[in-house]
Amino acid sequence: MSEPHDRSVVLSGVEHRFRARDGEVHALDRIDLALEPGEFLTLAGPSGCGKTTLLRLLAGFMEPSSGEITVGGRPVRGPGPERGVVFQQPTLFPWLDVRANVALGPRLRGAGKAERAATADRYLDLVGLHDVGHLRPYELSGGMQQRAQIARVLAADPDIVLMDEPYGALDALTRERLQDELLTLWRETGKTILFITHSVEEAVFLGTRVLVMSPRPGRIVLDEPARFSSDEAQVPPEELRALPAFTETVARVRGAIQHVEPPPRRAG
Amino acid sequence: MVPAVATTLSVRAPRGLLLHLLTFAVVLTAWTLVSASDVVSPAYLAPSPLEVWDAFVRANSYHPIGGGVDRVVRGEEGYFLWEHLVVSLRRIGIGLGIAVVVGVPLGLAMGLFRSFGALLGPYVDFLRSIPPLAYIGFLVAWFGIYDTSKVWLLVLAAFPPITLATINGVRGVREDQLNAVRTLGASQRQVITHVLLPATLPDILSGLRVAVGFAWTTVVAAELVNGLPGIGGLAYLSGTQNKIALSIACILVIGFTAIALDAVLRISEKTLAPWRGKA
Ligand SMILES: Nc1ncnc2c1ncn2[C@@H]1O[C@H](COP(=O)(O)OP(=O)(O)O)[C@@H](O)[C@H]1O
Ligand SMILES: [Mg+2]
Repeated sequence: MSEPHDRSVVLSGVEHRFRARDGEVHALDRIDLALEPGEFLTLAGPSGCGKTTLLRLLAGFMEPSSGEITVGGRPVRGPGPERGVVFQQPTLFPWLDVRANVALGPRLRGAGKAERAATADRYLDLVGLHDVGHLRPYELSGGMQQRAQIARVLAADPDIVLMDEPYGALDALTRERLQDELLTLWRETGKTILFITHSVEEAVFLGTRVLVMSPRPGRIVLDEPARFSSDEAQVPPEELRALPAFTETVARVRGAIQHVEPPPRRAG
Repeated sequence: MVPAVATTLSVRAPRGLLLHLLTFAVVLTAWTLVSASDVVSPAYLAPSPLEVWDAFVRANSYHPIGGGVDRVVRGEEGYFLWEHLVVSLRRIGIGLGIAVVVGVPLGLAMGLFRSFGALLGPYVDFLRSIPPLAYIGFLVAWFGIYDTSKVWLLVLAAFPPITLATINGVRGVREDQLNAVRTLGASQRQVITHVLLPATLPDILSGLRVAVGFAWTTVVAAELVNGLPGIGGLAYLSGTQNKIALSIACILVIGFTAIALDAVLRISEKTLAPWRGKA
């Protein structure tokens, strides 16, 4: 199993170039970043700036062109169960029903039937899909598929959860409910979360740290602490979004994104 | 709007059936008329539907040998017609079984390891492009005239389409499905059993359908040589002995069996891989 002690993630000098038909795409440019255990990082940036690329490198789906990524001090050589991934496009398995999809992580690690059922119940409940556990993924709407995927990742209990615009396709109500659920789960379990979003409000609302990336080649141009999600003072989300501190942070993050858009000329 | 659609549907279904029955009746009548007329002579060369039916029933029962000889024989050539059919089906079953056992793992390996696939690809393509019957002489020389050579022939006929379909299936598996199961903690073996195989199943089943069609054609032809018992052998022999009605009965059985086999496979495709084309 994954080791619970050191699970900090460190990226040092990570660069990535894609070989494309018409030459190279310089997607990421020297990223230096450390994810502390238990942090909730949100990452925003214009589309095409390399957010997904960064997530795929962290997941171990590909190797950076240069630089190194370590998890708990060990270099990432491929995907691993300590790093769960919520893909932008849900990747549920159509040969399993929704319930079996959610229970797949425990099943792969050899959990018993009772444990698998209990885990599936718990996470299907969490994302509000209990009634459709017997359906196949293609019988669900896009938003339900995304919720099922989130349940599947959480049920596998990874220490680090990498989420690529997971709520992009959801309606506002579901989105807010799932934001709250994710925060509750994060507070309870102390997982490290990297959450990519194109919604500045969402980034500021969820993150303990908000990162903003520049257009291609992607660099981190803003790295700002945010405290709204960790506040123990139980401010209801609606009121929280009206707090001056919240709107100020939103303005600052939005400014950073607008500042880097359109792309500045690189000096030196 | 909805009632209108419902009406056309409920009308169309019986009308379709009616049309089929009508067409069938026309075909039977035409056949009967041709056989009753003097267009074809001698008359035994053009048996009527009823005579074919009689031959079919005789071939499935104990019946007097006829010609004034007082003896009762079992079916045709010592076997009932259905037994001839079962023997042919058994050959196909064994041949296909071996083809699946060889073809699916081979296809998986060729799809998974690109260089291995590139290395062996031309050979599989080559085998596929040879009409299976071309092998028969050499297989008889190697394995004799009995069942072994026929089963080998069917293996050679059936395994290229199965292998090629499997390769195709593996190459069509979305990379993120493999990535996803790895992040859920799958070992290399679990990646294969939990994602690669089920994801490839629809393609394997289509390959199997192609292979069954191929094998059926091949077995019937292969039974021209020492094919008794065997439905193809019986169709051929009875034709050469001027038992045209029996020969036609065999041909009809061959055709209906082929259609039934394909239907069974189509249904199993639907039940085993209901997601096909949906995800
Ligand atoms: N497999 C690939 N091959 C070539 N170029 C790619 C590939 N994946 C992404 N890119 C390019 O890299 C850049 C960053 O892409 P991506 O990380 O998906 O951006 P984001 O997720 O921020 O929208 C884009 O310009 C994209 O076209
Ligand atoms: Mg993206």
